[in-house]
Amino acid sequence: MAQESVDLSCDYQFWMQKLSVWDQASTLGTQQDTCVHLARFQEFLRKMYEALKEMDSNTIFERFPTIDQLLAKACWNPFILAYDESQKILIWCLCCLINKEPQNSRQSKLNSWVQGVLSHILSALRFDKEVALFTQGLGYAPIDYYPGLLKNMVLSLASELRENHLNGFNTQRRMTPERLASLSRVCVPLITLPDVDPLVEALLVCHGHEPQEILQPEFFEAVNEAILLKKISLPMSAVVCLWLRHLPSLEKAMLHLFEKLISSERNCLRRIECFIKDSSLPQAACHPAIFRVVDEMFRCALLETDGAPEIIATIQVFMQCFLEALEKENKQLRFALKTYFPYTSPSLAMVLLQDPQDVPRGCWLQTLKHISELLREAVEDQTHGSRGGPLESWFLFIHFGGWAEMVAEQLLRSAAEPPAALLWLLAFYYSPHDGRQQRAQTMVQVKAVLGHLLAMSRSSSLSARDLQTAAGQDTETDPRAPAQQLIRHLLLNFVLWAPGGHTIARDVITLVSLSGVQHPSTHFCCR
Amino acid sequence: MESLLQHLDRFSELLAVSRTAHVRTWDPVTVRRALQWARYLRHIHRRFGRHGPIRTALERRLHNQWRQEGVFGRGPVPGLASFQALGHCDVLLSLRLLENQALGDAARHHLVQQLFPGPGVPDADEETLQESLARLARCGSAVHMLRFNGYRKNLNLQEDSLMKTQADLLLERLQEVGKAEAEGPARFLSSLWERLPQNNFLKVIAVALLQPPLSPRPQEESEPSIHKTPGEGSQALVHWLLGNSEVFAAFCRALPAGLLTLVTSRHPALSPVYLGLLTDWGQRLHYDLQKGIWVGTESQDVPWEELHNRFQSLCQAPPPLKDKVLTALETCKAQDGDFEVPGLSIWTDLLLALRSGAFRKRQVLGLSPGLSSV
Repeated sequence: MAQESVDLSCDYQFWMQKLSVWDQASTLGTQQDTCVHLARFQEFLRKMYEALKEMDSNTIFERFPTIDQLLAKACWNPFILAYDESQKILIWCLCCLINKEPQNSRQSKLNSWVQGVLSHILSALRFDKEVALFTQGLGYAPIDYYPGLLKNMVLSLASELRENHLNGFNTQRRMTPERLASLSRVCVPLITLPDVDPLVEALLVCHGHEPQEILQPEFFEAVNEAILLKKISLPMSAVVCLWLRHLPSLEKAMLHLFEKLISSERNCLRRIECFIKDSSLPQAACHPAIFRVVDEMFRCALLETDGAPEIIATIQVFMQCFLEALEKENKQLRFALKTYFPYTSPSLAMVLLQDPQDVPRGCWLQTLKHISELLREAVEDQTHGSRGGPLESWFLFIHFGGWAEMVAEQLLRSAAEPPAALLWLLAFYYSPHDGRQQRAQTMVQVKAVLGHLLAMSRSSSLSARDLQTAAGQDTETDPRAPAQQLIRHLLLNFVLWAPGGHTIARDVITLVSLSGVQHPSTHFCCR
Repeated sequence: MESLLQHLDRFSELLAVSRTAHVRTWDPVTVRRALQWARYLRHIHRRFGRHGPIRTALERRLHNQWRQEGVFGRGPVPGLASFQALGHCDVLLSLRLLENQALGDAARHHLVQQLFPGPGVPDADEETLQESLARLARCGSAVHMLRFNGYRKNLNLQEDSLMKTQADLLLERLQEVGKAEAEGPARFLSSLWERLPQNNFLKVIAVALLQPPLSPRPQEESEPSIHKTPGEGSQALVHWLLGNSEVFAAFCRALPAGLLTLVTSRHPALSPVYLGLLTDWGQRLHYDLQKGIWVGTESQDVPWEELHNRFQSLCQAPPPLKDKVLTALETCKAQDGDFEVPGLSIWTDLLLALRSGAFRKRQVLGLSPGLSSV
């Protein structure tokens, strides 16, 4: 408690000084500085209120003799009054100063003064003498017309911005960069006021004619923050413009998504999909520049976590949502799918980007073999300086979970000898870094398991335990090893596709989950 | 119903008193009761504001009040000024009391406690008074900041946001006054003319006359809105202008040519009077042989340039008006003797200037110098 009050005194001095410098925030410098500190100042006000409400007026003045000056200075700064809840908290603080039963004239005067300041905050800062006289003469009070006035001003500014954007050649009617920058600064405290939305949208979408960015970074940050916290609702076109114009905002949006995914305990695919769709990133990614940044961040996350299955699952869900969003986009503005993967070989991109569900059953084997060939070529052919080597190809491949699923299904449903190409594909999917020998070994292992499973599928009774033994799963091998993951994946698929598999499904899943490792397929089974 | 109407009466009185020194006698109980009444009426407005019979009854009662107080001639209404005001009558009352330094200590303390109870559970249905007040403060700051950091006066007055807002308010008030009393708008406008800064008032009238007629839409609660029959306010304005020649003369003198042309095109009833004025002004000028220009005798006479300007603007208006103007000019010219030589009749000279101006314009635009319609 004592430490808190010491902190408060230090903060008090700091803010007192700041407020004195800012005064009425009428210059570029003071406006910028105020904008940067708005959130922290509001926190300070909250802390002050918590302290003040426990004391009576006399005690307050003993503790903070200049409190009246501090609060009054804050009231003169329109940026502070306009921001979020600061005006409310200021009012509460002022109310604490009132003496319940004034003993002398000084206390009475103080009460009067507080009343005056409260009235000033609410009297809506008259600016135009003529306008004020006119409205008063008509019998209207500010509460009657200020909302309408604000709306008119906002719409008028928004349409001026749009005209500025479209009217390239008419230099007389152009908005000066200073005015644009000023407007963006002024919007920072107002972002969460719904009446100002049209202006915010216009500022984002209409980028004028200067080659460099004019709007203040504080503006972009404030808008992005509001979007992430759902405190503002803007059309998609405005959000895309924001992320294209201000890269840190896009990065922050991705980080926000990652944080949500990490902090949420059990992430089933449905929840991942919810989070992703909620973030508006799939729709925004329809713009190739944004897609590239998002993809790059996914790649970094994958590298950092050493290929964690959770990240792979997220990428796959993201791709699904992205392709859905792309489908809905205006067909005239659509970019070719290849634009999103500029570094891949065209043939590989073309085949991977098709929808697995579009491939007729009869052609599965052929298509998968083709994919396998192309990937193998890209992976094993390092002499021609293909970008990044196996990792790049693998990164591309894992974007599309549908193919891996198709391979598993094809292998389990066909009674024929499992083709080497498909085995290679599966082994590659789970372990891209393996050398030739290691991969060959894995392929042999998988072939054996498949043989067992096939034999079991013909038998009349199945038990989960039999399945596990057949799959060669035991407690000694590391469950995290890629080969084990692969085999688990096959097991789960088997349970889905084999006749009679459903009966032991639950047991199998329990056994698999007991190994303690979360597997994307377990999520898939949750569906 | 009767008790509701009495409530309305008493609240209106209360509101009027809240501005005066009389509040010195108010104690906390009075303050609390006043706020309760306000809350009650606000609730009524929200629930029944769109409901035919109750709304009509309330409006009629308010209009009665205004008539009795004879407010149309005297000045702004002391109590409730419009039906819309009921939607935020609690805010109105609160602000008036807060502004009133005559309030006693006990009453003041109680008022502040009632208005700003502090953080708490927000009301799910309606916005609390505290929220409304906070929002007003925020809105006020927003307007202030936009005004000084982004707003630029629009040279086309009818598109300027400050002008438009004032015009909207004027039209709304006129409509309401018109409903209260048939002759209300005329008297009301005359009283405004005497009380308010006239230059601004004239501009607002012009902008009001140019506001687009809106399609009927449901009542908005907090903002002044143009009601289902927007033409009424404009009609009242035109009627008043036509009935007050001194005002109309000032109107035509003070406002720019382009604006007047737009107004006259939109409201054809004004064009004969406008033309009549222009004719009068023209006749006051005489030709100065030495300087070779048309001049006035007194300082307040409209100079040649301005006269020319206005006629030029009128000639660029769409057909019905343009033709009327030309016909008027030709008639005047004929009455003067139908001279073709400059320097003898101002009307000849005006027509010559207009024609050559039109000719030059056609040249600049690259049009063929064919028969101009001037």
